[in-house]
Amino acid sequence: MTAFQWLALVPLGFLFVISIGNLFRQLGRWRASLPWAILWLACGAAIAKPDLTVAAAHVLGIGRGADLVAYASVLAMLLGFFFVYLRLRQLERNITVLTRHIAITGARRPND
Amino acid sequence: MSQPGQASAGSVAFGLSESECAKIWTVIAAYNEGSKIAEVVSELRTHLPHVVVVDDGSADATSDNAFGAGAVVLRHGVNRGQGAALQTGITYALGQGAEIVVTYDADGQHRMSDIPEMVRPILAGEADICLGSRFLEHAGQVPWRRRVVLRLGRWFTLLTSGMRLSDTHNGFRALSRRAAQQIDIRLDRMAHASEIIDQIRKTDLVYREVSVQIRYTDYSRQKGQRSSAAFKIALDYLVQRLLK
Repeated sequence: MTAFQWLALVPLGFLFVISIGNLFRQLGRWRASLPWAILWLACGAAIAKPDLTVAAAHVLGIGRGADLVAYASVLAMLLGFFFVYLRLRQLERNITVLTRHIAITGARRPND
Repeated sequence: MSQPGQASAGSVAFGLSESECAKIWTVIAAYNEGSKIAEVVSELRTHLPHVVVVDDGSADATSDNAFGAGAVVLRHGVNRGQGAALQTGITYALGQGAEIVVTYDADGQHRMSDIPEMVRPILAGEADICLGSRFLEHAGQVPWRRRVVLRLGRWFTLLTSGMRLSDTHNGFRALSRRAAQQIDIRLDRMAHASEIIDQIRKTDLVYREVSVQIRYTDYSRQKGQRSSAAFKIALDYLVQRLLK
């Protein structure tokens, strides 16, 4: 094991354990924690055994393992942006609803 | 002559009886319109007793000036956009028992004298919603650049909603109570105009276009949307349709 592998695998292992813990604590919300657990596991596997990425790349018809990692990273980032965008939209919506409620309850009427 | 803040008793001269005027709630979304809003509200208040100004987080004296001119003022603590402000005003008006809601611009580009024609089909039970159109009779008065953008908006609406309208982004509208209850503006910013048309198509609301005249002044041009904003509006609307 190289120094980089140690530096990367320790926090990844820690994150994996937290995700698995969340998964078992809140089984009803497995959709929120299972993808994270899989992501940390995949990252850990790719760092611990780089040959795995080469094998996976060949299965998917990609030349090099590094290319597979690059493509997967870009895809993961785009997905991440998309989900953050969805959350932001919901947040904006909530702010509007709250602002509306405050505006209506605090209406200034000429006859008041 | 009526004083600002008091509806006139002689509303018949306006083209509507007092009882008809009492059914109408005019909703104005205003953002930094402090220099114009009092004039707009005062003019409306000469005949219409219910004027609601939604101050969309202005940094100037929009709220105070509108209130001083006799409007009910609702204030958004933070700017949420014209669509959000209109929905706030409509929700408030419905809560006060409004039978007809008229949406009206704050920059003085609409003419109060067009209101009777806008609401008459609703009062007669012939339509649920009347959409003001500057292209039915007064197309020549529209600046050419604005005309081009609005024509593109027309085609865009035809493509996305299948609705053949002459003026798709006119803020002058009249809604029956039933229509105001069914329309739910969720696009906070300027794309709400397309959203309203989309919602009309999806409901059984009967709509009609009514000819109105737009007063293009230096002030309204300065306050109005830039033509380049049309692309952002179209994008907002398409994203909303994809993600809802």
